[in-house]
This record gives sequence, structure tokens and C-alpha cells, in this order.
Amino acid sequence: MKRSIERHRNILDFALSSLLRRKGKNLSLLAVYTLIVFIIASIVFFTQALKREAGLVLQDAPDLVVQRMVAGRHDPIPVAYADKIAAIRGVSEVKPRFWGYYYDAVTGANFTLVACDDPAPAAESIFIGSGVARTCRLSEGDFLPLKDLKGAPALFAVQKIFPSDSELVAADLIQLKGDDFRRLFDFPQGRATDLAVSARNQNELKTIAAKIVHEFPDTRPILKSEMLRTYDAVFDWRSGMVIVVLAVAVLSFIIFAWDKATGLSAEEKKEIGILKSIGWETSDVLLLKSWEGIIISLTAYLCGVSLAYLHVFFFSASLFERALKGWSVLYPEFKLTPVVDPYLLCVLFLLTVGPYVVATVVPSWLAATVDPDAAMRS
Amino acid sequence: MIELIEVSKSFNVGKVNQFDAVNRVSCSIHPGQVTILKGPSGSGKTTLLTLVGCMARPSSGRIMLGGIGAQALSGMDPGTPLEITSLPERYLTGIRRSAFGFIFQQFNLVRGVSVLENVMLPSYPTGESQVAVRARALELLELFNITRHAASQVGLLSGGEMQRVAIARALINNPSVIIADEPTAHLDSRLSREFMEIIATFKARGKTVLIASHDPIVFDSPLADQIIEMRDGAVTSDRYAA
Amino acid sequence: MIMHPGILALLTGSLFTSLMILYAGWYGVLILRRWDLASGSELQLSLEKRTYLVSTLLSYALAFELVSLFLFIFTADRLHLLFTGAMCAAGTLNANGFGYPLLILKIVNFLLAGTWLIVNHADNQGYDYPLIKFKYTLLVPLVPLALLELLYLFGYFSGLHADIITSCCGSLFSLERPGIAGDLASLPSAPMRLAFYGAMAATLLSGAFSFFKGKGYYLFSAISSLSFCIALASLISFICLYIYELPTHHCPFCILQKEYGYIGYPMYAALLGGGLAGLGTGILAPFEGRGSMVRIIPALQRRLTGTTLVLYAIFTLIASYKMVFSSFKLGD
Repeated sequence: MKRSIERHRNILDFALSSLLRRKGKNLSLLAVYTLIVFIIASIVFFTQALKREAGLVLQDAPDLVVQRMVAGRHDPIPVAYADKIAAIRGVSEVKPRFWGYYYDAVTGANFTLVACDDPAPAAESIFIGSGVARTCRLSEGDFLPLKDLKGAPALFAVQKIFPSDSELVAADLIQLKGDDFRRLFDFPQGRATDLAVSARNQNELKTIAAKIVHEFPDTRPILKSEMLRTYDAVFDWRSGMVIVVLAVAVLSFIIFAWDKATGLSAEEKKEIGILKSIGWETSDVLLLKSWEGIIISLTAYLCGVSLAYLHVFFFSASLFERALKGWSVLYPEFKLTPVVDPYLLCVLFLLTVGPYVVATVVPSWLAATVDPDAAMRS
Repeated sequence: MIELIEVSKSFNVGKVNQFDAVNRVSCSIHPGQVTILKGPSGSGKTTLLTLVGCMARPSSGRIMLGGIGAQALSGMDPGTPLEITSLPERYLTGIRRSAFGFIFQQFNLVRGVSVLENVMLPSYPTGESQVAVRARALELLELFNITRHAASQVGLLSGGEMQRVAIARALINNPSVIIADEPTAHLDSRLSREFMEIIATFKARGKTVLIASHDPIVFDSPLADQIIEMRDGAVTSDRYAA
Repeated sequence: MIMHPGILALLTGSLFTSLMILYAGWYGVLILRRWDLASGSELQLSLEKRTYLVSTLLSYALAFELVSLFLFIFTADRLHLLFTGAMCAAGTLNANGFGYPLLILKIVNFLLAGTWLIVNHADNQGYDYPLIKFKYTLLVPLVPLALLELLYLFGYFSGLHADIITSCCGSLFSLERPGIAGDLASLPSAPMRLAFYGAMAATLLSGAFSFFKGKGYYLFSAISSLSFCIALASLISFICLYIYELPTHHCPFCILQKEYGYIGYPMYAALLGGGLAGLGTGILAPFEGRGSMVRIIPALQRRLTGTTLVLYAIFTLIASYKMVFSSFKLGD
């Protein structure tokens, strides 16, 4: 056992010095390798962090939202339904919600308008999110001009701006009084946008939803669990797509690595010949080449993953934002919460180190099976 | 006693450029003696050295190794000669590492590595403690008067100094057979004679020496016990020096 | 197909491994047909060199099989959210017909590749490659199994369709689709407990006998392999109940989770390692008398037997510890 460890140590030493002796070639290989790891790791970390954030955001979403559908399109739901639904066994609370989207032609942004009377803004005043404040360049006391359904102007005073901590949920939010909301959108009386339903027992939700559909066939209940699942799937799909596209880059890297590995310089060939002639076996030279590969892979992996971690969590993935977030005018500025997931690190390892190992197995073997007597002839 | 029985080695068998380097050679090399392989370049001396030194396998024929401590490796009875013809590479290398020391024509030192490390290189795969090996290496450098170069790069040494490093390397695993291929090819007369003096010390210590050379300083030396002449891959004369 | 990075990693890894095994198998056949150690011909020399490549490729394949076994389960676990009714990896594996056969195939391939490496190790110690023909014959079934695994892997993942909202008009679909049973069929616990401890005792006895007497390896190998299967069944049947402290939770995968202290890892590692070593002693047994193996195989078998005994002991200790100190008591 001790001999085996000593043998590995000696050969590892030599591998290290061997790599350093050919700095140019190995540094260029390391740079490209690190870049590939960096890109893939950034994508994986970014989507993972977004998934987490989405999960956190949805935590406070209602367990069940009931919407009304007319001819396959969303329609305001009669508030009267709420009483019947509240009577279903297991339902703890039914709250009608008033909200909608407002397109601002000036900035090209979509705002989410919510009518909430607790706490309510003053009449003709609004609470706005920091994203809105940024896009429209507003501060407290300023005025925001909106147009109602008939095109008439409606001026609102900015009473309060939501703190930046709430960016993710409130960036594009404008909160106003219920009456102002109805006036602005000419919202029909006795209707709400949808109903938020809470149940005492989570396991009852499916049964409650089934009963709601049975009672009111024109409604569509949406469970929170379904939303979570859909978000997860979308994020996974997005990151997966990008990685598949990157497959081309990875393939080029494999070819590059193969080329570097097979293109032994005359100096390297001679060195291996010498080693074999002084008593190194094929398996010893194979071990040498493997150690060289391991050193390069591990270095590239660690550097690439660390850089990606910094990139995503301290620089908010500035390089990929556009591609992965989608397009919009209004973006929340938020710092993603750093998360280290051993499962992901393992997946990254397989995706990046795996191809390199496969690419260099045969070239390493070819190098190691050089005949020792060839060294005597050179 | 190292015995070669009808040994042949061919390259590119079956192809247009088939080359028979060694052709049905039979000879014996006696332990504790200095044997010289004499002949012009292309006569097959180098190939024969690689076959004797367990560096290559013959295409046909048999090679028996006896009296050089090789048997201990495969756990066989030390009295019987070991046939190495069909041993797999792993075992050949193991025997070579412990029983043979090579001195190459071109020295074959690894560039970019220090002198001391060059001397220690053959022991890396054996897993022997580096502390012990290092001590032995320094002793050898001391023996050949090159301790002051221990940390230098090999590229900075003179021809004679490089050869002494090569000799030190050949001795690191304490082999019982020394094989040298044209050792004096890059040396002047003074250094060549110094080399033969070193060979004398090997002989005095009971080592077997096999040298391939066409340099008169070597084959006319009083140290030579047996001279085997070769031409075109075959032995033309095999005599004992007086 | 769900474009999860874990799935991509598994697919590419499996693809590469299959390629490596295919390559190894191809040369294996060549070696079987033309190997002649006594000849010094160039073909023989090149075949000898080729054996190094085959060993290296198979070592990598084995390493991948082991890692991917755990990664596969982990990915299945991560994906369980996407399927209604799936509580953990067990549910995801049930999502289509490929899931469980794939798992079994992966375990089989791991054991096969591991056995090959044990035989290879023994062969390398002998100076006349005595086991070479057997070794490469052993490789022959591994190739189609590896390819089958790749096909099943592909089939499984492309057959996974997440239960997500796909239509803006669709109503509650969870009602339309029945949930997936996450429960595994499990054997009754009282007889299983008897079988488990009985099997472990038998392994210990025959192992000790073989260790000290140096014979009876066929019996030991058979017993240890049987114990392997019984231990796995016992894990599902009653051991995990103590870990989860629930009488109905029979999932073999949740013990790999953080909530349970990752206890699954040492248990599975010990069981797989022990099972592999036990299998190895049996495979080597026919060659005890062959040439240079006389000195090598008995020592190796002894080591393997010792390994199996130690690892199985660890597994039994962990299981027993959990059973004694758990606040849950199985009522019979």
C-alpha cells in the first residue's frame, strides 16, 4: 500500500514538473477549458438561482386561484361566487383580487396595477415599485400621468415607493385605491379579476378545486403546486436548451483537447522514450499522462466554477442576462442568493471533465506505448 | 550467464521494407566479465543490446538469463535460468529496472530536469522511499565528482559531465549488469580513457559489463574479456581476449 | 424530453461510456482470436499494448457506472416535483416503464464491470497472462448490456413528460390524471427480518471458514450474492421504516437525503462494495490452480473475502443501530 502511494506521489511530482515545462501549450489548453467550464457553470448556477427565487416568490402566492373563462379567454369573475365557494367544506378564506396590466406608451413598459385597501393609498395617490420609479424617473411627491379606458388623462400622486428589497415581487407594481382602480379600467361592478382561496388542509385543495369546477363550470382553478412545477420546467428547459446549443462549443473543445493530446512535440516524444528506456513501464507512463490530465481538469474545473460563482452571484450574470431572462423593458434589479448545490457541482463535473477524459484516453495510451528501444536509436 | 539461442529480430515483417536487424545470433555473456560487441554501424549491435537488456522481445529464438538475480522477481528458483522471451512487458521492465543499467550513446538525459532528479528518475515507479533513493543518488554523484552540479540543469554540463550523470543514473537501482551503447562516441581520448577506468571499477565490483563500440580505446583495452564481432545482423567472430 | 442539466450529463456520460465499452469489446474479440504469448511477432506486441487501453477504458467505465448510479437516483429525485403524486425518486422512476428496469440494469452493469476489473487485477499479477481468454470472454456480455442501458436511458428520459400547465384554457388536469404510486411493493417485515439476519450470519460463517481455511469460495460467493439481494429487499421492507419512523414509507431512495443524515450513502456503498467483492471470490475460484495464479489468487480471494465481511458488517451495524435506537417500533 505504502509503495503504491509513494509511486503515485513520485509520478504526480513528475507530472506537475512536466506540465510546467511546457507552459505555453498547457496554459492555452487550461484557458480554453476554464472558459468552457465557466460558461456551462454560469448557466447552471443562474437557472438554479432563478428557480429558487421563483420558488420563494410563489411561497406567498395563494394556494388556489379561481379565474373565470369565457370563450377560452379570461373574464372578470362575479364576486358573488365567493360566498358559495367559502361555503365549501375545508375552505378557510376567499378573497376577491383586483388587479390588471397597464401598458404605458411613453416608456413602453407594462405595469401591474393592484387595488388593495389595506393599507390603502390616499385618493388619486399610488404606491409604486422601485422598477417603476426607475423607468419613469419618479420620486415621492411626483406625479404619474395615466390614461383611462376612454383615453382621458388621470393623474396620480406618488405617495410611496416600495423598498428595493421587494424588487423581485414589486418592481413593476403600482398600488391604488379600489375606487381609483375601477374608475381607471372602467371595471364592471360586482366583479373581481380573480378569487384567492385558502384551505385549512393542503391535501384538500384538489377536492375543493374539483368541487368549484363542478359548481361553476365557467371557472378555472389554478393550484400553486401546478404553477411551481411549470416554472421549474420552464427554467430547466431554458437552461437545457442553452446547454444543448453549447454542445457545439463542447465538441470543438473535445477536438481541441484531442489535438493537443496527440500533438506531442518531438521533445515530449523523446522524453517518454527516455522514461521507458530507463525502466518506466507502459502503465507508469499512462499514470503520468492521467495525472497530467487530472491536474489540468481539476484546475480548470475549480477555476471555472469559482469564476462562474462570482459571475452569477456577485455580478448578476451580466454576460447572459439577456438570453436567459427574456425580453422586457422593466427589469427588477436583484442580487441572486448564492447557493452551492453538491448535486449541481457533480453534474457540472460530468458535463465538463467527462468529455475531456474521453478525448484524451486514446492519445495518452498512444503516447505511453512508445517502444523503449526507439529511444536508443534517436 | 546470459544466453542467446538462435535469436532473430525483424522489423516491418511481411511488408516491403522488412528489415532483419539480427539474424539467428547465438552467444553467451559470462557474469563478472567485460564483453565487447564490435562492428560497424548497422550491424545490429544496438538491437542485440536491446534484446539482452530486456528492452525488446525477439521475433524468434530464446534468451535465458541466469546468475543475475532476475529470478527473485518472478518467485522462481534462483538456480535455474529464466527465459525472458515470452515475458510480458511488465515483467521485462521489472527485471530490467533491477538487474540492468543502461548508458546510451546520446546520454538520454531529460532536459528541464535537474541532475539529481535525472539520477533518481528510474526509481520513481518502484515506490521506493524517496529519502533512501536521494541518499543513494547523492552518493553516486559524489563517487563521480559531480556533486556540485546536483541542482543544475543538464543542458549546462559538458559532454564528460553528462556522461557521468548518465552512468550515475544507470547505477541508481544497483544493477548487476551494465550495458553501454557506443559510450565513447561523443568523448575525446582523455575522457574515453577515464570512462574505461570507471568500467574497471565496475568489473572489480563483480558487475557484468556489455559494451557495443567500434572505438579501439574500448575494444583494445586490457579489460575486455570477450569480443563478439558482428556484421549485417550476424556474429562473425566470438573470441576470448588473452 | 425534459431539458434538465442532470439528464444531459447522464445521457452524454452514458453515450461516451458505451462508446468506450464498444471499443474495448471490439479489441477484446481481436485479442481472443489472435493472442499468442509465445510469439514475438508484431501483432502480438501490438495486442499486448492494446490490453492497456482496454483496462483503462473499462476502469473509466466502471467509475462512471458507479457515479451515474447515484446521479441517476438523485436526478430522479430532483425531478419528482414535475409529476403529480410523485413524492421522491421512486415516483419519478414509476413515471414510465423504463425506470425500474434501467435501475436494475445499472446495478448489473456496475457489478459486471467491477468483476472484470477484479479478474484483470489478478491477471496482471501473473507473468504469463493466464486469465486473458477468460477475461475477454467476460467482456462480451458487457457490450450489449451497456448499449441496452444507453437505449433504456434514452427511452426513459424521452418518455418523461412533466405534468405542467400547457394550455391556457385547460382546466385542472391533476384530476384528469391519476397520481403515480410512489410506494414500492414490499415484503412482509417479520419473515424478512429473519431472512436478513440469517443471511448475514451465514455469510459471516462461510466467510470466516473460507478466510481461515482457504477453500469453499464457491459457497461463500453464492451466499454473499444471495445476502446482497436479501439485504436490498430488507432495506425496502423494514430497515428504512426505522429510518423514516413511518410504517408506510418504503422508499429506498429517500435515505440518501439530507433529512436522514445521508445515511443511505454508507449503507449502499458498503452493500455494493461487499456484494462486488463476494462475487469476485467466486469468479476467481475456477482459476486457482492455473500457472502463476497459484500464488496470486488465494491471497486475492482472502482479501476479497475479508472486504466483504467487513462491509457487510458495517451495513448490518448501521441497520441494527437504526433499528435499536429509532423512536419508532415496528409492532410485531
